[in-house]
Amino acid sequence: MPGRHSRRSVLATMTALPLAGALSACSGGTSGADSTSRTTTTGSTAGRNATRITFWSALRGSQEVVDAFNRTHDTVQVDFQQIPSGPQGGYAKLSNASRAGNGPDIATIEYPQLPGFAIDGVARDLTDLVSDSLRSKLLPQALDLTTFDKRVFSLPLDVEPMVMHYRADLFEQYGIEVPGTWDEFEEASRTVRRKAPGRRLSAFATDGAFQFAAFAWQAGAQWFDTRGDAWNVSLADEPSRRVAAYWQRMIDQDLVSMTPVDSRGYDALLSAGKILVRLSGAWDAGAQMKARPGQKGQWAVAPLPQWNAGDASVGTHGGSTFAVTKDSEHPEAALEFIEWQVSHPDALRARLSSGASSQYPAAPGLVAVGRKAFDRAYYNGQDIYTLFEQEADKIRDGWTWGPRMTATQKVMQDGFARVGGGQGSVLESVRAAQRGTMPDLRALGLSTTEHSS
Amino acid sequence: MTTPVTTPASAPVNVSAAAPAPTTSPRTARKSARRRELGAAGALMTPFFILLVTVFLIPVATAVWLSFFSDDQPGLGFGPERTVFVGLRSYTAVLTDPTFLSGLGAVVLYCVIYIPLMVIGALALALLLDSGVVRLRSWAQLGLFLPHAVPGIIAAVIWLYLYTPGLSPVIDLLGKADITIDFLGVHTVVPSIVNIALWSNLGYNMVVFYAALQAVPREVIEASVVDGAGPVRTALQIKTPLVRSSVVMVAMFTLIFALQLFTEPMLLSQSTPMISSRFSPSMYIYDAAFTRNNYGLAAAASVVLLVCTIALSYGVTRWTNRSDAAEEDAR
Repeated sequence: MPGRHSRRSVLATMTALPLAGALSACSGGTSGADSTSRTTTTGSTAGRNATRITFWSALRGSQEVVDAFNRTHDTVQVDFQQIPSGPQGGYAKLSNASRAGNGPDIATIEYPQLPGFAIDGVARDLTDLVSDSLRSKLLPQALDLTTFDKRVFSLPLDVEPMVMHYRADLFEQYGIEVPGTWDEFEEASRTVRRKAPGRRLSAFATDGAFQFAAFAWQAGAQWFDTRGDAWNVSLADEPSRRVAAYWQRMIDQDLVSMTPVDSRGYDALLSAGKILVRLSGAWDAGAQMKARPGQKGQWAVAPLPQWNAGDASVGTHGGSTFAVTKDSEHPEAALEFIEWQVSHPDALRARLSSGASSQYPAAPGLVAVGRKAFDRAYYNGQDIYTLFEQEADKIRDGWTWGPRMTATQKVMQDGFARVGGGQGSVLESVRAAQRGTMPDLRALGLSTTEHSS
Repeated sequence: MTTPVTTPASAPVNVSAAAPAPTTSPRTARKSARRRELGAAGALMTPFFILLVTVFLIPVATAVWLSFFSDDQPGLGFGPERTVFVGLRSYTAVLTDPTFLSGLGAVVLYCVIYIPLMVIGALALALLLDSGVVRLRSWAQLGLFLPHAVPGIIAAVIWLYLYTPGLSPVIDLLGKADITIDFLGVHTVVPSIVNIALWSNLGYNMVVFYAALQAVPREVIEASVVDGAGPVRTALQIKTPLVRSSVVMVAMFTLIFALQLFTEPMLLSQSTPMISSRFSPSMYIYDAAFTRNNYGLAAAASVVLLVCTIALSYGVTRWTNRSDAAEEDAR
C-alpha cells in the first residue's frame, strides 16, 4: 500500500511541476493533487524510472529553470524548493539539514561561503564527476573560486565582476567625466559635494564587507591563501591597507554617504537621486531595473575605476554556485542537472524569462544568449553584456575566500557600522575582522598562519 | 473502587482498603506504610528527575562532549572527517577570542550597574510600601508588577521604539527642551539595556521583598518604635537586616539571569551598530553555533559561561554565609 501511494504522489508532483510553473510562479508541490488528471501532456513515460533529485535555491527564476529541465529530460527529474536567501536563514537551513542527514541533492552556495561548506563536509568533492568538456565551458577564474586543494566543490552559475553603475543624467548635469581611476573618482566625489551639497557620488556600505573585499581584491590583496597546506590569513595586507586608507579619507572628508546598502534608507537615497554611483556586481544592473523602474534611461554602466591608469584588474561582487551535498544519493544525476543549468542556453533563457536579470554567466558560451535576451531599453540601449564580458576577463586570479567568511564579514561590518557612528576606523575594522576570525579557524582544527598587521 | 486487598505490598492502594485487613501484624503494617511512603516519594519526584536529566544533565553533558571532540580534517580541512578528541583546543580558542572577552566585559559592566540598582531599588520600594507611606498600596503594587507580565521580547520592542531617534516621543520631547540624547550611543547602550531590565523585573523583586517584610514580627517593629527609632531608622536598621536572606536570594537570581543577557541586546542590535552580533556571551554562543557553524566553539563558550555562573553563585553564597557567621561572632 505505501508503495503504491508514494508512487502515485511522486507521479502527481512530478507532472504537476511544469504545469504549476506555467500557471503561476508559486511552488508546484501544493497544487499537485489537482493536476493528476492532466498527466498526458508531460512526462508520462519519464516518471517511473526517472531519478528524482531535490534542489534548494533562493535564486529568482529557479522554478522556471527547473520546469524547463523537467520538460526536456526523461531520466532525471528535479524537485525544486524555494528557500530563504543565505543570510536570511538559507545557510542555517542547509547546515542544519545536513547535520540531520537530510540535505537536498543540490544546494545553492555563494562563493564566499563555499569553503566553509566544503570544510564542514556539506558540499561533496566533485572532482571526479566533472568532465573535461564541462570544465572547458566555464570561465577558469570562476572555476578557480570553487576549487580548493585541487578539488572542485561546486560549479559556478554566474561570476560577477564589480562594475560602476552611475547616473548618466546627473553626471552630465554636474559636468563629471566617468572616472577611470580612483583618484579621479575622489575628485568627482568632491565635485558632487561642492555642486550639490545634499548629494554624494557614492556610499560606503557599512554592511559591505564583501564590497570592501572586492576593492581589496582589485588592489591586489590576498586575504586568504592555502600555500603550505595551511590557511594563511592576512586581511590587512598592504593593498588592503591602501584601500582602507582611501575610503577612510573619503569618509573623513564627508565625500561618501555612510549607510548600510541593504536598507530602506539606501533605497530612498537612490530613489531620490542623492547617490549617483553604485559599485556592485554585474547582477545589480537587473536588480536596479526591478527596484526603480521609474529611473529608466537615467543609469549607465562603466568599468570600475583602476588604481593606476592602464591597470586592468577587478574583483567580483556576488555570484552563486551549485554544490552537490554529501547526502545526495544520486550525485551523477545531480551533476547532470547542474551542468545543464550552468551551461545550456535554455537554462539561461528560462531564468531570464522570470523578469529582469543581468547575471553574467560563468560559461562564456552563454554570454551571447544573455546579451540577446536582455532588454536594453532601461540603459538607453547600452550593450552592458559586452562591457561585462570585458570586465570578467579582468578578474584577478588567485583570490581565495576564507573558511568562515560569515564570521569575518560580520565582525568587519560591526566595525564599519561603528565607523558610521563616528567610532574607530576602516582599517581597525579590517584588523578586528581578522582577530575575530582566527579563533574560529583554530577551533575548527585548521592549520593557520597569520600575516601582516 | 474498594476491591478486597490480597497483598498489602501493592503500594498505592487507598487507605480505607488497607484498614479492614485484620491479619497484618503491626510490623508488616509499618513496613507497608514505609513502602507506601517511598512509592509516593518516588511518584512525586520522578517527574522532577526526568526533567532534570532530559533538559539539564543531558544537554550539559552534550555540550561538554562537543567542546572536547570535533570532526577534524588535517591541514586545510577539505579531507574526510573523523571525530577526534581535541582536548582544550576549543577552550583555548574561546578564551583567546577578543570578541568573547569583550562580551564578558560587557556583561560584567551590565551586572555592576544593574544588580545594585535592582536590589536597592526593589528593596526601597518594598520598604516604602511596607511603611504605609504609600496610599493605594495594592494599586501601586499592581502597577509596579505589571511590566513583569510583559514578555522580554515585547519589552525590548517597546523600548526600542522609545529609544529610536525619529520615532521616539521621549527623544522628541527632550529635543524640544534642547536636550539631545542618543540612547543607543556607545556609552549609553549598556545603561539603556539596564533600564529595560529594571523596568521588567523591579516589580517582581519588590513583591519578593514585600512578602519577606510581611513576615517580620510586628512586636520587633513596635519595640523599635518604643525605643525611639523613626520610620527611616526602623526601615534601614530593623527591617532590612531581618529580610537579609531575601536580599541574598534576589541578588543571586538577578546575577544568574544577568549573566545570560540575550533578548534585549539581540533585539536592539537590529537598530544600533553599537551592539554587535557577539555583544554578550550568550549572543556569542548563538552566533558561533548558528551563523558560524562552529559547534565546538559554541559548546566551549557555553561551558565557560556555565562555570562562571556556578562559580559566582557559589562565591555569593559563601561570602554571605561567612559574613553571617562573622555577625554571629560579633554578637
